[in-house]
Amino acid sequence: MKSAVWLLLLLTLIAMIVACAAPAAPATPQTIIVKETVVTGGTPQVVERVVTATPAATAVPAKPKRPNIVRVNASLGDVPSIDPGVAEDTTSITVVEETFMGLTRLDEVTNELHPGMATKWDISPDGKTYTFAFRKDVSWVRWDGSKKQVVKVQTCPDKDGKTKDRLVTAKDFEYGIVRALKPETASPYAYVLAFVIEGAADYNAGTLKDASKVGVKALDDWTLQVKFIEPAAYNANIIGLWTAMAVPKWVIEGDECTTRRGERWTEPGFFQSFGPFTLKEWIHDSTLTIIKNPFWIGDQWTPQPKVDEVTFSMLDPVPAMAEFETSNLDWVEVPLADMDRVRGDAKLSKLLTISPSFCTYYYGFNTKAKFVDDVRVRRALSMAVDRVGLIKNVTKGEQEPAQWFARPGLVGAPTMKDYPDLGVKYHPTEAKKLLDEYLKEKGLTLDKLDITAMYSTSSSHQKIAEYIQQQWKTNLGLSVKLTNQEWKVFLKTTKSEDTPQIFRMGWCLDYPDANNFDREVLSVGGSQNPARNGVPYGGVNWNNIKYEELVRKAAQEMDPKKRVDLYAQAEKILNWDDAAIIPLYWYTSVQVTQPWIKRTISIGGHQRYEHWEIVQQ
Amino acid sequence: MGQFIIRRTLWTLAVLLVVSLITFFLMHQVPGGPFDSEKALPSEIMANLNQRYHLNEPLAQQYVQYVYDVLVPRLTTTPPTEMLLDQFLIEIEMNGVYFRWMNFGPSFSSKSRTVNDILRDQLPVSFQLGVMAVLFAATLGIPLGVLAALKQNTWLDYLGMSVAILGVSVPPIVMGPLLVWVFAVTLQWLPTSGWGSKPPFLMGFLPIDFSLDYFRYTILPVIALGLGGSALLARLTRASLLQVIREDYMRTARAKGLRERAVIVRHALRNAFIPVATVLGPYFAAVVTGTFVVELIFGIPGMGKYFVMSISNRDYPVIMGTILLYAFVLVIANTIVDIVYAVLDPRIQLS
Repeated sequence: MKSAVWLLLLLTLIAMIVACAAPAAPATPQTIIVKETVVTGGTPQVVERVVTATPAATAVPAKPKRPNIVRVNASLGDVPSIDPGVAEDTTSITVVEETFMGLTRLDEVTNELHPGMATKWDISPDGKTYTFAFRKDVSWVRWDGSKKQVVKVQTCPDKDGKTKDRLVTAKDFEYGIVRALKPETASPYAYVLAFVIEGAADYNAGTLKDASKVGVKALDDWTLQVKFIEPAAYNANIIGLWTAMAVPKWVIEGDECTTRRGERWTEPGFFQSFGPFTLKEWIHDSTLTIIKNPFWIGDQWTPQPKVDEVTFSMLDPVPAMAEFETSNLDWVEVPLADMDRVRGDAKLSKLLTISPSFCTYYYGFNTKAKFVDDVRVRRALSMAVDRVGLIKNVTKGEQEPAQWFARPGLVGAPTMKDYPDLGVKYHPTEAKKLLDEYLKEKGLTLDKLDITAMYSTSSSHQKIAEYIQQQWKTNLGLSVKLTNQEWKVFLKTTKSEDTPQIFRMGWCLDYPDANNFDREVLSVGGSQNPARNGVPYGGVNWNNIKYEELVRKAAQEMDPKKRVDLYAQAEKILNWDDAAIIPLYWYTSVQVTQPWIKRTISIGGHQRYEHWEIVQQ
Repeated sequence: MGQFIIRRTLWTLAVLLVVSLITFFLMHQVPGGPFDSEKALPSEIMANLNQRYHLNEPLAQQYVQYVYDVLVPRLTTTPPTEMLLDQFLIEIEMNGVYFRWMNFGPSFSSKSRTVNDILRDQLPVSFQLGVMAVLFAATLGIPLGVLAALKQNTWLDYLGMSVAILGVSVPPIVMGPLLVWVFAVTLQWLPTSGWGSKPPFLMGFLPIDFSLDYFRYTILPVIALGLGGSALLARLTRASLLQVIREDYMRTARAKGLRERAVIVRHALRNAFIPVATVLGPYFAAVVTGTFVVELIFGIPGMGKYFVMSISNRDYPVIMGTILLYAFVLVIANTIVDIVYAVLDPRIQLS
């Protein structure tokens, strides 16, 4: 008896599989009521239209009109946070920058700085005080789930019971910036603001309690005054970053007509913004959808979006590639394992684009560690690596061989066109000569050189490390030991006194300026050069007074040409004179995009979907 | 029975306390912290983060606070603050009085969510997938094993066991992409990735809309996840049944003149199921709490990746939450197995 029941269950299951897998029954004509949001004179209205749908299975199948939605993949795992003050990863920042608008806005293709919420800004004679003049016609909006449309946020009723649109004011920005700096917000990117705005560092550290002493002040609703510490070239750039956006105080803290949402204010339904898009839906860990803000007053740089919605999936790159191939995603990054197949495929290779990405992959030296404390050894190791071969055989994404650290294209960074011989190049014979000279002087032999290189555990880093190890063996006859550590352990090791002789590392931009590379990473106290009281103790463990001076001077230099020259001098010290790092390659982003998408490719990795379009056939 | 359950509940509590204690101190021993990255955050920023998440307090104090937050219910008249560190899994409001219980803490890497949110939104998905996979494994594996044992050394046996060996030796990480490639990418019969239901869930864990479309999403992952289990169960059932049918009481049953079917179902199968039940308990616990590989391949928003990623991210509250969850489900599953033993074999006493 029992086995009969099991058998029945099994049969049902099989039947279910067959039923589900079978193609859908031919469609019958249907009458559909389509709700359309029409914007007339700035106010959207829902219009109902009766449409008779043509059955798809007729003799000549009518091409269905493509929904005006861009479907993209973010990355595996939930989008961490779309709170401007807290966002720190690519997807979160993209969503923040698409739903909000900074005082200034960077062009995603040219890297030029454009006006955002501020139409213009005046700079005081000492170059430290900026006065931003605001647009007066941008309203806060939100997605109304019950009306199924984006609506303008209203102010609380006045004594006559009348409400007005809540316009975005300088006060909202003041609140947003001060909130990001507040110690309780624990904003990871607050340090960028703290670095440039007067009083911000002390307020963020909790030593200054009075927020009014922070150099950000709304003079009236339409004027914001920001006092900077230095008259630096990147001030206007940093004040436009996602961390410095306005946020809706009335939703976060509540007011007489708005319920307090605290840290839940970024949930769909509560979320309010004012950029070209706003948040529509967020199914955590699955999809996040932003919808066009019909009230966004487009300008020449940030036009009204042409697409209605953008949906972010949260898939691993491998299933995302499968979704792309079944036309369910409009663009994806190609996983390394699929690179050769995509290139060989007649259809896919046509959809492939390879564009620069602002990251640098490099190996650092602990310049105080044994053997590599001599610049000749470091330079020899750096010159002995064939970057072109590495890219062709291992990384395969048409990355660019790196000769220095700050990737060309960053503001202030030298370019290969103007500085073809800057930095370090592959030169095995010179390398060998240099190393022999060192060995002779010290009375050492090759097998006495006990050098270890460390990478963080991952198959791709391993492949690169093994290739480089092979290069050193072939070109120098030197056997370097490889070792690896789990990512977080590795981070701890390579920023401590125990930093190994050689370690692998990468750096991607926070904002597109060479300062973010040369100064924030490798100068004393930088991310990869930790220091106590001005004395480095780990990472590259390196202090070159000339370099420090150059990057400091470059930050304040207003003349772009002179600036590039200062950074070029700094890079020469870093990569050649002192050879504190081995620059390996500058990243590229390898993507496939469906043929019906007309798009821009963002060099910073944060796409601007208001410039995208769906081409209907 | 009642006494058994009370005793088991107390034991469960003790086990969970010990598990939480060990996990808590072990995870803090591992080098690296939740906010380490390529970018070395300035010490002020790090201090703010540690302050916010109470990571600057002594470990023992942090642990006591954790246990207190999870275990001790609160009765209060102040409304919830909507801050992420102040979220409880169970929140009931009655006449302005709030009953709040079980705060598993915020997630450090998903900065807009708490462990409660993850349990509420992701666990039901893994649960649905896991239950279907266990059902699939059992409905396929157990009859196959029975058939193979009863027709030992016939072509049926050989075929069944060959399939079983294949099932055991092809792990989901191979099976998954293969299924996707054939049925989703090439034939386009089934969706490539995703899940057919989303929060909120019926009764907290069931999909609201049990449509055909829902099952279209489940077929491939259920096969990928359940096939290995079915093969395991088939082999185990076969081996166990082969042993049982050689027992003396089988001969006795036949000698009594019972019909062959009654002999097999009532005497053989019943006893042969004891080892099967033993395996099914932990298998169930492992599968319903989320599986990393299958959920990754099929893009299913379940618990699986939180088990793995929380550790590499040093997301302490999520590590605690996932491990306690697994321990809890495992203990419950084993308790049920013990009860099933007593039902299957009256000689086994629940004491």
